Amino acid sequence: MSDHRQRFEALALPHLDAAYNLARWLSRSPFDADDIVQEAMLRAFRGFERLRNEDVRPWLLTIVRNCWRDSAAQRHRRGHDPLPTEADGAELIFEGSDAETKAVLASEARRVRAAIAALPDDYREVLILREMEDFSYREIADAVGTPIGTVMSRLARARAALKDKWLAEDDHALR
Amino acid sequence: MPCAETLQTQALIDGEFAGREAEIAEEHIAGCAECQSLCATAAQLSDEIRRHMPKYFASERLRARLDGALTKADRQAARRRPSEPRRIFWRGAFGGALGGVGVSGLAAALVAIAMLPPSSEDLTDRIVGAHTRALMSGAIIQVVSSDHHTVKPWFAGRIELSPPVADFAQQGFKLTGGRLDKVADAPAAVVTYQHGLHEIDLFVWADHGQRLAGSGTHHGYHAVFWRHDDLDFAAVSDMQPSELATFAHLVRTETE
Repeated sequence: MSDHRQRFEALALPHLDAAYNLARWLSRSPFDADDIVQEAMLRAFRGFERLRNEDVRPWLLTIVRNCWRDSAAQRHRRGHDPLPTEADGAELIFEGSDAETKAVLASEARRVRAAIAALPDDYREVLILREMEDFSYREIADAVGTPIGTVMSRLARARAALKDKWLAEDDHALR
Repeated sequence: MPCAETLQTQALIDGEFAGREAEIAEEHIAGCAECQSLCATAAQLSDEIRRHMPKYFASERLRARLDGALTKADRQAARRRPSEPRRIFWRGAFGGALGGVGVSGLAAALVAIAMLPPSSEDLTDRIVGAHTRALMSGAIIQVVSSDHHTVKPWFAGRIELSPPVADFAQQGFKLTGGRLDKVADAPAAVVTYQHGLHEIDLFVWADHGQRLAGSGTHHGYHAVFWRHDDLDFAAVSDMQPSELATFAHLVRTETE
């Protein structure tokens, strides 16, 4: 194994799960997520030498986000844009609860994820980077390529849209 | 009347503020019902998201696939990387020819000449060609922004190098955006600037050991070349050569 690859594996591979998680939530599809992550890791591998004094994780996740955008654009050009898969809930495991609680949790989870999946891409990506990856505003702005002010207003709109949706669906959703 | 401070309140919740900034935001929230409600909702949304959106993990299948892909990419890269062995190859080929070791040495030298990177004069033509093609097609800018925080990350994941991006509006050279292009078949990041009515392209590409002229002129366009670390730079425009030199100096100073 080359030095280059060893260095890459030591610094970038620890973030593979984070990369996959992000690709999975952005693309909403396990198959697309695999392709996006593979493409992103290859791009990262080729560009790795030029990474200087930067934090690896946001750098890698930014590449994942760009790969997702590119694959979405390609799909859009080819004219098939799959809707989020509803079967998502099936693979989730809620530990240590009885059957009834599990069913309630699974149904809530489906509702939450359906609401987020329905957000426009521009809103969804900032929300996911903020809530799931704990990106700062600056990191989101760099990843998405917009000024911080835009990040702030998109986050606010994403949250407002979710709130409206959940309140409309279930008055008890936000107790 | 809707509160004008909601984005500040949101920033506090998102952990963007510390110290005095946080105190100011907190003081505001204490007296604003709308922001109090915003805080409560945001916290609940955040809880629900974290509770109902589990983390996914890369499968063993993906890890195995990636391992194979990296091995392949590594092998390809080993052939290209670093640029040193290739330059040694040129040197060896010419050394053989000059040493007069016979027909095979000469043949190797001829092959080497055929494969040589473009000469510096040729490079000026190509850079100017790429610049004018972009101007004519109207595709000179793919990411439009005067904010270097927008332009620089745009290149991440699109090209395997990170060009320096800075705005020199105060010195008369306004950052306008960037695009991807090619220089002698090598992928190049192009950072675009404007000076009055003149468009300036700053080409940045990975150094492959080709010879760079200090400057060149082709069809009325001027180009200035330099190398920094393992990157090659070319600034090209139809401005006066002296203005272009000023621009190149600004970029070089910024890089160093």
